[in-house]
Amino acid sequence: MSETEARTAREEWGSRFGFLMAMLGAMVGAGNIWRMPFTTGQNGGGAFLLAYVVLLYLIAVPGLMAETMIGRYTRAGVIGTFKQFFGSKSAQGLGLVVLLVNVALMSYYAPVIGWTLYYAVHSLLLTFSQPGFEAVAFWEAFSGSPLLVMAMHTVTVAALAGVLVFGIRRGIERVVKWMIPILVVALIAISVRGLTLPGGTEGLAFAFTPDLEALTRGSTWVAALGQALFSTGLGWGIALTYGSYLGRYDDVPLGGGLFTAVGNTSIGLLAIFATFPVVFAFGLEPSAGSELAFVSLVQVFPQLPGGAGWAIAFFVSFFFATFTSGLGITEVGVTTVAEETRLSRRGAVLAVCGAIWLLGLPSAYSSSFLGQMDFVFGNFGLPLATLAIITLVGWKFAPERARAIDLNRNAGVYVGSWWNLIVRYVVPVVMAFIIGYGAYTSIGTDDQAIMLGGIAVMAVLVVASAAVMNVLGTADGTGEPARPKGGD
Amino acid sequence: MPLSALTWLSVVGALVVLPGVAAAALVRTLRSEERKLELLRRQDAIDSYSPRAMADLRAWLRDNPGDPYAPIARERYNECVRTLRTIEEPYYDWSDEEIERLEEL
Repeated sequence: MSETEARTAREEWGSRFGFLMAMLGAMVGAGNIWRMPFTTGQNGGGAFLLAYVVLLYLIAVPGLMAETMIGRYTRAGVIGTFKQFFGSKSAQGLGLVVLLVNVALMSYYAPVIGWTLYYAVHSLLLTFSQPGFEAVAFWEAFSGSPLLVMAMHTVTVAALAGVLVFGIRRGIERVVKWMIPILVVALIAISVRGLTLPGGTEGLAFAFTPDLEALTRGSTWVAALGQALFSTGLGWGIALTYGSYLGRYDDVPLGGGLFTAVGNTSIGLLAIFATFPVVFAFGLEPSAGSELAFVSLVQVFPQLPGGAGWAIAFFVSFFFATFTSGLGITEVGVTTVAEETRLSRRGAVLAVCGAIWLLGLPSAYSSSFLGQMDFVFGNFGLPLATLAIITLVGWKFAPERARAIDLNRNAGVYVGSWWNLIVRYVVPVVMAFIIGYGAYTSIGTDDQAIMLGGIAVMAVLVVASAAVMNVLGTADGTGEPARPKGGD
Repeated sequence: MPLSALTWLSVVGALVVLPGVAAAALVRTLRSEERKLELLRRQDAIDSYSPRAMADLRAWLRDNPGDPYAPIARERYNECVRTLRTIEEPYYDWSDEEIERLEEL
């Protein structure tokens, strides 16, 4: 195949199941396993879930439909998509913003995947069930060794590159098709085991007993909003990128929207069933966050009959959850770099993974740096990316036009005009609110300085991206309607 | 510890609206893919819009004839009309009368 042919023939998902598992895998990450259970218990249990489900269906489902649809329509990565819609090169810089936010996000998420990989490997080596094993000392020895954490970060990035270099169908799809089903089965098995432990149902009572008064508190809704938006990965460019590899007869609303958003949350729900009964049966602290997985549960599994097996099931599936997210986040950069430069896919994988590895070294070296990156990009970078993508659909493509021409094309469910209002007004307003609320609640706290720094970083990112695209951007986007590439 | 009725309601409700809906969506979308593939193998093409989606597209084209995206919309509309006239079995729930009433734009 000639170079020209190789660059014009766009890969497609090999199967519907592969696409769905890739979407689910990309959205299910560490937050589903250690954040969702505690956030639910802390914010009113069943009442929080009610608020969460309302917001999930109201915002995340329509938002993911919009993002996946725009990817399928343009059949391009994030920069290519913005180029197709915007004549102004500066506006095309928004695509570069989305790309850079993803690379930044992945730079501190890769070390976290490294943690889960380290624990998965040790669960397979049966380390946790050795006599005299000390969970706290083990965690401190690992997290306190920058060399070890950086080594795991390196192995993680190499493993991601090793999958991504094979492309969509032979790389990502081949891996997620078995990792995600194993994750689900493992969580179900651990849930059943936990619920049959004496005192296990107390965990359910903590997580699910509805404190209806919580529904009247703004903080419950803000927490539900944050969980609904961030755990579904809405507007990060992943759904756009994965959607760009859909075939012409593929559906968007049912798989890319409903199944992805609700399936992702279902795995969060399974994580509640898997962890909280065990936490309560053994009298552990449910608010321990990441330590809940890496310190508390490690001590508990060996105490169960067949404990080594349960530890393997939990930590290997935890690694699968984070690794498949890493694939999705990194693929945003790989697709875009392969399209926008002269690099082959292999070259793009090396360039993007190399950048992630290098930028991730400070986060691997220092957990406080990792925390600061998470604060800046979690509170400001990701909402900014979401705002850019949803505004593209809601205000540039225009929702009624998008819905009539593309969203309902080959759709598994019909999407009515209610969708227009949500994509045009509700999601952008909510994202602007999230950014503003994050900034407002930091005023007068220890986070104030980093919040101001975060806003400054985002401002620089937007201006610099616009400037870069002004120089390097091509005049693809002439202001003429975006024509879908191929297949039409 | 026995759970209260309200807690049980909350647990069951969460299971229905989350994994229940996700499983239903998964089964439905995989079945529809199977059917699409089967129809494509048999007749080489399938209709891309349901009757409601086609009506929306027609209404949008009627209201926005000069829109810069109208040529793409028209192209897709006409392609679906032509496909519906050539295939034996539509993917969506089209009646013969509905197909006969369709005209290219």
